[in-house]
Amino acid sequence: MSTTWLPCGKYHETYTQDHAWWQTTFIRGKMIALFAVLFVGIPLLADDYGLSICNNVGYTVLGALGVQLLIGYCGQITLGHAAFLAVGAYTSTLMILEFPWPQALLDWGLAYPISILVAAVVAGIWSVFFGLPSAKVKGFYLILTTMAAQFITVDFIITQYVSQIGGRGQAFSLPVGTIKVGPWVIDSDLKVYFMMLVLSIFLIAVMVNLLRSRVGRAWVAIRDNDISASVMGINVFGYKLLAFFVAGFIGGIAGAFWISNLAAISPEHFPWSWSLWLVGVILIGGVGSIHGTVFGSIFMVVVIEALQLVIMQFVDTSWGSRLFMDFLFIKEAAFGLVICAFMIFEPNGIAYRWWQAKNYFNLWPFSY
Amino acid sequence: MAAGKEIQKGDVLLELEDVHMYFKGVAALSGVSLKIRKGEIHSVIGPNGAGKTVMMNCINGLYRPQQGSVSYKGERVNHLRPYQRAKLGMARTFQKVEVFGGLTVLDNIRLGRHLHYRAGVLSGAFYLGKAKKEEIEHRAFIEEQIIDLLEIEQIRHKPVGMLPYGLQKRVELGRALALEPELLILDEPLAGLNLEEVEDMARFILDINEEKRWRVTCLLVEHDMGVVMDLSDRIFVLNFGNMISDGTPDEVQNNPEVIKAYLGEEDLYATRR
Ligand SMILES: Nc1ncnc2c1ncn2[C@@H]1O[C@H](COP(=O)(O)OP(=O)(O)OP(=O)(O)O)[C@@H](O)[C@H]1O
Ligand SMILES: [Mg+2]
Repeated sequence: MSTTWLPCGKYHETYTQDHAWWQTTFIRGKMIALFAVLFVGIPLLADDYGLSICNNVGYTVLGALGVQLLIGYCGQITLGHAAFLAVGAYTSTLMILEFPWPQALLDWGLAYPISILVAAVVAGIWSVFFGLPSAKVKGFYLILTTMAAQFITVDFIITQYVSQIGGRGQAFSLPVGTIKVGPWVIDSDLKVYFMMLVLSIFLIAVMVNLLRSRVGRAWVAIRDNDISASVMGINVFGYKLLAFFVAGFIGGIAGAFWISNLAAISPEHFPWSWSLWLVGVILIGGVGSIHGTVFGSIFMVVVIEALQLVIMQFVDTSWGSRLFMDFLFIKEAAFGLVICAFMIFEPNGIAYRWWQAKNYFNLWPFSY
Repeated sequence: MAAGKEIQKGDVLLELEDVHMYFKGVAALSGVSLKIRKGEIHSVIGPNGAGKTVMMNCINGLYRPQQGSVSYKGERVNHLRPYQRAKLGMARTFQKVEVFGGLTVLDNIRLGRHLHYRAGVLSGAFYLGKAKKEEIEHRAFIEEQIIDLLEIEQIRHKPVGMLPYGLQKRVELGRALALEPELLILDEPLAGLNLEEVEDMARFILDINEEKRWRVTCLLVEHDMGVVMDLSDRIFVLNFGNMISDGTPDEVQNNPEVIKAYLGEEDLYATRR
């Protein structure tokens, strides 16, 4: 973790201060303002469209966190992360639909939260399973085995078998009122928004904490120099599997959360392109940066929305309607272009620009 | 450190018996035997390509010799991986520094303390009690024992990759020391350093070996004969994967075989890279 700039003449007097999250009153103030905007400002001001965009951002953040952990912090490239989101979504859905819940748990609104937790564990274990090859292979070959996770899980197991459970056809729809957290039935964009906010903040905090403690340091060590890491006494393979577990666990939560926002769950919600998209998000936001995960998610969602809005303006013209119909492809083309642009012009991602800007203001008026 | 017999000063800490290591049929070590006693500085010298680094890799588990045994505190450790040998009390530095360049000095040294931290995923995730307390405790240890010893207070928050080579070597030593090892393997700690840095580094090695706080047994690979002769209790001479001498500095200096191996480098003291 980088160190915080302190105002001139101020020094930490204890190690505890040097290890704290928010080290100056200014930073504390900024964080309080941010929380006020997130918890009060946006809910008051945003309409359903605005909230749905925020929810999309949140889902992207939750999905990309695991990818960031694996690629950005542990150096294990993954191209199949949507598989674990799918495992989470399906585990949670199936538990809600098929599990003989005691009435009390349903009344207390615990069924869905419990299913999220189970989904997280199942997705975590599933992810470990596909992390096993990392004992022997690195880089390019690992990419192939993680791609296998996508195809085996989503295209084969879920599409062919899991979707057939209960004979509901391809899509599972959740009856109204089953997605209930405590006293709240999650039935509006606003409630999804609050759930998204709580989960995102919680999981980001967990990630940041992990990264500044023993486990996270071991991951970074493996990413930077696995031989040195092993000489330091780090069980490299064990920690790689742990990274796969935690990434899958977070992915499972992301998937299980997202069913609250979907009318019906089907395998098409977790295509391979979504796995690629999540990798793109961290490339754009910044590899090895939690800020970057959030920036990348905001950027991608907003760019695509803006693109859609622009095209909507011309939907009356013949070419406009044509573009609108093909938006799915345009979206992917735009995604590809944006990634290329970032790789060429800002390979360190948005987070790096953010860091530069922050330093500029911290050192002002001596910032050169 | 992990359980294991207590070894007294002077007892054999590490033993190699008839170690052979081949690479695609080419022998890098052909039947090397070595005993390192607790508390000593035991040096390994030999011309370039003699197999010194290969020998160190066999000792700490990066390589597994095809034949022969490596025992640590009387127990065979051939089957153990590097991280398991670290748990037993082995630490090392590398000939070409292998630091975590993107991390700060402090984080590099913290990584050296990995085995002494206890926090798992859960306490780490919430940074509660144990995890928080131990971060502070280890920070104090690192500051007082290591940063202070190696005189690197000024650079503790700097990324190691941005430091000059000499300081990187120093950080790498600090990181190895952070394991609080019983056996410290130093692969050419002086190579590439300037005269002043060589003096500092030699002093650190001596401190680590002699100070009551540390008393670390050192296995030192080095080309700088002056320093080797000054620091070592014993010197092991390796040539083309074979031992040609193993004894006190005096014995080794006067051994005709050794002089022959270094033929053309008229004076042993002149060998400095
Ligand atoms: N991984 C490897 N694969 C193949 N050959 C190797 C490998 N490692 C070392 N060797 C060979 O083993 C021999 C001994 O190399 P080693 O690095 O141990 O020499 P050294 O004594 O450390 O020399 P220097 O003083 O230059 O560091 C060399 O001929 C080298 O080419
Ligand atoms: Mg060598």
